[in-house]
Amino acid sequence: MFQQMNIQQNFPEYNIPGKQHHDFSPYESNGGSIVAIAGKGYAIIAADTRLSSGYSIHTRKQKKTFKLTDTTVLGSTGCWCDTLSLTSLLAYRMQSYVHTHQKTMSTNAIAQLISVMMYNKRFFPYYVSNVLAGLDEEGNGVVYSYDPIGHCEKTTYRAGGTAGALLQPVLDNQIGYKNQNLAEKPEITKEKAISIATDTFISASERDIYTGDSVVICIITKDGIEEKTVQLRKD
Amino acid sequence: MQGYNDGMSRPFWSNGPSPGQFYNFTGGDRSASQGFGPQNNFGAQRSSQPITTGTSVVGIKFDGGVMIAADALVSYGSVARFQDVKRVFKVNDQAILGTGGDFADFQSIQRSINDKMIDDICHDDTISLKPKSLYNWLTRILNNRRNKFEPLWLDMVVGGIENGEPFLGHVDLRGRSYEDDIIATGFGKHLALPIIREQIVEGRPFTQEEATNLIKKSMEVLFYRDCRALSRYYVAVCTAAGANVSEVQKVNQNWEVATVVRGYS
Amino acid sequence: MSSIGTGYDLSASQFSPDGRVFQIDYASKAVEKSGTVIALRGKDGVVLAVEKIVTSKLYEDDAATRVFTVDKNIGIAIAGLHADGRYIVDIARQEAQNYRSQWNANLDFEKGDRTIPLKILVERVSAYIHAYTLYSAVRPFGVTVIIASWNQEDGPQLYKIEPSGTYFGYLACASGKAKQQAKTEMEKLKLGDMTTEEIVKNAGKIIYQVHDELKDKDFRLELSIVGKETNGLYQMNPEKWLNMASEAGQAAKMDDDSDNDI
Repeated sequence: MFQQMNIQQNFPEYNIPGKQHHDFSPYESNGGSIVAIAGKGYAIIAADTRLSSGYSIHTRKQKKTFKLTDTTVLGSTGCWCDTLSLTSLLAYRMQSYVHTHQKTMSTNAIAQLISVMMYNKRFFPYYVSNVLAGLDEEGNGVVYSYDPIGHCEKTTYRAGGTAGALLQPVLDNQIGYKNQNLAEKPEITKEKAISIATDTFISASERDIYTGDSVVICIITKDGIEEKTVQLRKD
Repeated sequence: MQGYNDGMSRPFWSNGPSPGQFYNFTGGDRSASQGFGPQNNFGAQRSSQPITTGTSVVGIKFDGGVMIAADALVSYGSVARFQDVKRVFKVNDQAILGTGGDFADFQSIQRSINDKMIDDICHDDTISLKPKSLYNWLTRILNNRRNKFEPLWLDMVVGGIENGEPFLGHVDLRGRSYEDDIIATGFGKHLALPIIREQIVEGRPFTQEEATNLIKKSMEVLFYRDCRALSRYYVAVCTAAGANVSEVQKVNQNWEVATVVRGYS
Repeated sequence: MSSIGTGYDLSASQFSPDGRVFQIDYASKAVEKSGTVIALRGKDGVVLAVEKIVTSKLYEDDAATRVFTVDKNIGIAIAGLHADGRYIVDIARQEAQNYRSQWNANLDFEKGDRTIPLKILVERVSAYIHAYTLYSAVRPFGVTVIIASWNQEDGPQLYKIEPSGTYFGYLACASGKAKQQAKTEMEKLKLGDMTTEEIVKNAGKIIYQVHDELKDKDFRLELSIVGKETNGLYQMNPEKWLNMASEAGQAAKMDDDSDNDI
């Protein structure tokens, strides 16, 4: 049997040029970036609206933020079919929480649930980059970010998705004031956060072909979730 | 009732005689050990690739409806094997469907859709499959199969009218899905989409006539440049008045330029 | 049935010394208590008609309906235990679907795709019902089912299956309370070459005639039809035909009543 399995390696001429060899991969990167910033009394989360694979764009208006409750929004990018599976399963799990406990889920409960759901597929992971933003029980902003197999970290700001590595250092500098030897670190206001998030996306769309078209910014406060759209490069 | 592609639902009572099998009332379950493919301790290795395939599908929303077009060819590798096959379908008066990718996989799905529609008729509540439900159902079926590493190799465009609004969505072999005003699959994504997109007038949808002409133009370009395309195509149209699939349409061909090409003879 | 009891009626898996399986007889009793159901086969169609006895005004109009769709051109009417009937209908639907998935190559839903031949369906459903007369762990179904269909090749078809699992093809058949009376009426007809209009009117007449106003006060006529006139589609309570049947029925009833007055 093992000999049979090596046939193609032993006889490379059997791989005829021109014949199409399809190898099924369950994963596909569909691109997209997320930025979330939390502060006193607010949290914002932004994601672009480009859905692509390789060099082709599927649609320019795919929202990647999911309103889970009045105080919690999930941003999810990566393999889009996994995002869809994860979010619809999440909606189901959250609904059954409502039915069993007679209350909506708190942000940290959702954060935990997502972690568990992701780890449940440890050996066939959801290939997604998740960032969860919301208000905690005191009404202050929180951000949770994940790796594809369910590791969860609580932070105050995070960039994720295809331009995540591009944007995180910008946020470290602008919001975290990292390595700046400041006497005091001024608090980031909601308006400042929105403007930084917008700017990061404008910059990301310059350098990342998987980020662009437009960015949807969700602003979460105790008064509800406000949504803003800013146009980005479309090439 | 349980359909072949409906891996998620379980039969209501699975202890008695079952349809399509010999009634084996007192005995155990004899069907458990049956199955396809080689089975040993190392598991079975399957290859997964499309065999008989359809190429691009193009869908456009217009004022008051949606239309989906695909040519009449189902290829066998590079052989233009089946040359008069409808790849666009009317599901019911409110939903239409276009399909690319493996045609056998599609026929399997089509059987399940037909079964679902019979179920709807039997329920006798005048409710029938709506485009968004069909779209979401396909998403789950395809995603479920890719999770088993046995994908249904399909690229499908679902269209229709729901709550008076046109609907157009795309689902692929992984269950990846999105909605848009214009959708094209395969080569159509590269060749037809830009042509259609250029004609968008900001602030208003296409008229039905404009959409028809754009489909015509798209199928023409695809015929010229996609080796797996054919000069004959079908269009499915869905409006509030109902759905129907056109007679076969022919692409405008002009090969006059061939006489001035030099250097090949 | 002089030998009621005597210990041989407790199990469907045991004969009595005089060669009966009492559980089956009792199942038939359940059918005899049911409102009448009749079916007439005409030249190019079949009609099923049900005398649905309304035991309380509190029910909705469509409660406890006794005609069902099995496939596009196949329908069932039941007499007997309602829940048993629903279950048999479900079995029939599964059989029809299973036949489609195995044998129906034509996938075009709009065009005349081939549904399960009625003979095959009846054979399988009756085998199922029969299986429930063989074992001590189960009881037979307390229903008689009447199955009808029409298609271009085979024309109109009509079968009836009893709780024992026996089945026959019919020109016209009846089951339930007024089975005998209905059969007498049906024997007067020139069955087999009547038009759809004629069988519908006659079905309406018979149901209204055999309804016993003294024992059961209120009833509702349920009628379904399949044939050339319906483009080969099975239709339940189609307005046009239902009205035609109930008008014919009411007219016949008036005639009968005035006859009695004289």
